[in-house]
Amino acid sequence: MKATYLYKFGRFVEWPAKVESDSFSICVLGQDPFGPALNATIANETIAGKNVVAKRIPAPQDAVNCRVLFIGSSENTRLKQILSTLRDASVLTVSDLPEFTQRGGMVQFISEGDRVRFEVNLATAERAGLTMSSELLKVAINVRRNAR
Amino acid sequence: MLRFRDYSIPKKLTWMNLLVSGTALLLASTGFFAYDLYNFRTSTVRNLGIQAQIIGSNSVSALQFDDPRSAENTLSALRAAPHVMFAEIYAPDGRAFARYRRDGSGSFPPPLPIPAGQTQVYRFQGGQVALVRAITFQGKPVARIYIRSDLRAMNDLGKNFGIIVVTVFLISLLATLWMSSVARLSIAEPIVRLAGTARIVLSEKDYSVRASPAGERNEIAILISTFNEMLAQIQERDAALGQAHDRLEQQVQQRTAQLNAANADLEAFSYSVSHDLRAPLRHISAFSQLLNEEYGSKMDAGAQQHLNRIQSGVKNMGRLIDDLLKMAQIGRKELAWVATDLNDIVKDVLVDLQPECEDRQIDWRIGELFSIACDPGLVKQVFANLLSNAVKYTRKREIAVIEVGQVEEDHASVIFVRDNGAGFDERYAGKLFGVFQRLHRAEDFEGTGVGLSTVQRIVKKHGGAVWAKGEVDKGATFFLTLTAKTSSLATRTEAPKATKAAV
Repeated sequence: MKATYLYKFGRFVEWPAKVESDSFSICVLGQDPFGPALNATIANETIAGKNVVAKRIPAPQDAVNCRVLFIGSSENTRLKQILSTLRDASVLTVSDLPEFTQRGGMVQFISEGDRVRFEVNLATAERAGLTMSSELLKVAINVRRNAR
Repeated sequence: MLRFRDYSIPKKLTWMNLLVSGTALLLASTGFFAYDLYNFRTSTVRNLGIQAQIIGSNSVSALQFDDPRSAENTLSALRAAPHVMFAEIYAPDGRAFARYRRDGSGSFPPPLPIPAGQTQVYRFQGGQVALVRAITFQGKPVARIYIRSDLRAMNDLGKNFGIIVVTVFLISLLATLWMSSVARLSIAEPIVRLAGTARIVLSEKDYSVRASPAGERNEIAILISTFNEMLAQIQERDAALGQAHDRLEQQVQQRTAQLNAANADLEAFSYSVSHDLRAPLRHISAFSQLLNEEYGSKMDAGAQQHLNRIQSGVKNMGRLIDDLLKMAQIGRKELAWVATDLNDIVKDVLVDLQPECEDRQIDWRIGELFSIACDPGLVKQVFANLLSNAVKYTRKREIAVIEVGQVEEDHASVIFVRDNGAGFDERYAGKLFGVFQRLHRAEDFEGTGVGLSTVQRIVKKHGGAVWAKGEVDKGATFFLTLTAKTSSLATRTEAPKATKAAV
């Protein structure tokens, strides 16, 4: 479920024009909770005409060309560094980590019963040059507007 | 139930106006209503489609991220559209995702499938309209929106329209009636008045009446002036006719007077002449008698014969004068109308004729005759003449057959006297009834030639007619009627075969 959300987010977010790439890459940093399910989910999907591809990256620097970066829970301690590295990059940061959006993350998965919900930090996204569609905000259970 | 054609003109005009304006109004209002209805339906569908699209667009993320509550939130905006009863969002896999209901209860039929290649489908059914629209997001189908709306607005439209139409119709009805009364003055009234005038002229036969002219200069004016001219012509003709009639009357009176005078003269003449003729005749008779008595023995056979001839001539002349006298008397006498049984008359005549029939063999075939109002004396003369003629002219037959009877012809009773005697040549039938006319020689049959003309006179005086048919040596039949009903007979038997006294 979360895997599909990763690329679905891509449909409701606008990247700035300077991010030019011929594919829409979803990157996973740290512990990968999806496994091959992610690849299966995004197979044959396109966003804005670009193929969706999944990458596992070892270091945050490699995420500069990613559109969406999922930060695994293993990176909890290194979160601050990761986020500051990506400060000027237009990457949508998504994670399960608690208080992710308060700590500078953009989208945080929150489980509600058997439902996957999420919380967004609008200011963080906007600072990175990303525009979130109101549709997305509608569905988010919480929208934070304070940047850290 | 009067046919429309027979309605009076004002009524016809009114009805025609009503019909025309009513039809126009009906057609116009039907057209407008149909157009309005069509428009309404089209815009209803369009609006529903728009609403569905808006709902759908705003529900995409809810669907994508499985947030029914967000979708229901979006759907609740439909409360602003009071005509929407029900709306449902379907996920691409066909399951219902979120729902909106205007009122709590009620079940609705499932959504219609959208045919391939179309974005939406709709159906008007049972006072509601249902619409299903496919929503796409970034080129992919993400939802179907199903909306149901009631048609209260449309019904209200129809009702209002109906009210307006009825109101306008009533108003136009009144307007039509009012205008009809105006038209009545202009078109119908002159005609109605003309008809009334015509009826007066007809019923009172007063041709001096004239129709008063209408103010206008159209066909009605022509009709009226022509009508008046025709009346004037009729009047002229009447006057001319009257004058001619008067002139004719005058002439007739003159002629009648002349005729009467002539008749009177004639009768007086024949009467006096007969009387005057008698005197010398008596002398001749008396003296020839004396001659016979006193000098008969001294005369030789030749002289005797001369004397006999003189005497027989005298007798003849006497009979002739008698007959003439009788004829003259007929003219002067007034008819005495008595209901007479003709059978009695015939019997009397037969008795009188007995002496003549003494040495004869006569087969009398006398039929039943009718009774009629007539002058018995004169009618007896008629029968006497006819029957004595029959006896006379059958003298040469061994057995004379004389028939008397009646036949029905053209609803009139005709008496006939038929004999099998010498008959006559029908070519000279015109002379039969003339005075002194005889179709036989005196040597064969003696007679004065007055008998038949007497018969004719008497029959004419009764208003009847007499005519005869015959063939030389085959006998003769004399027909007579004693009433004027023979006019048809007279014309019918005007064929060359018969002659009759014209009535």
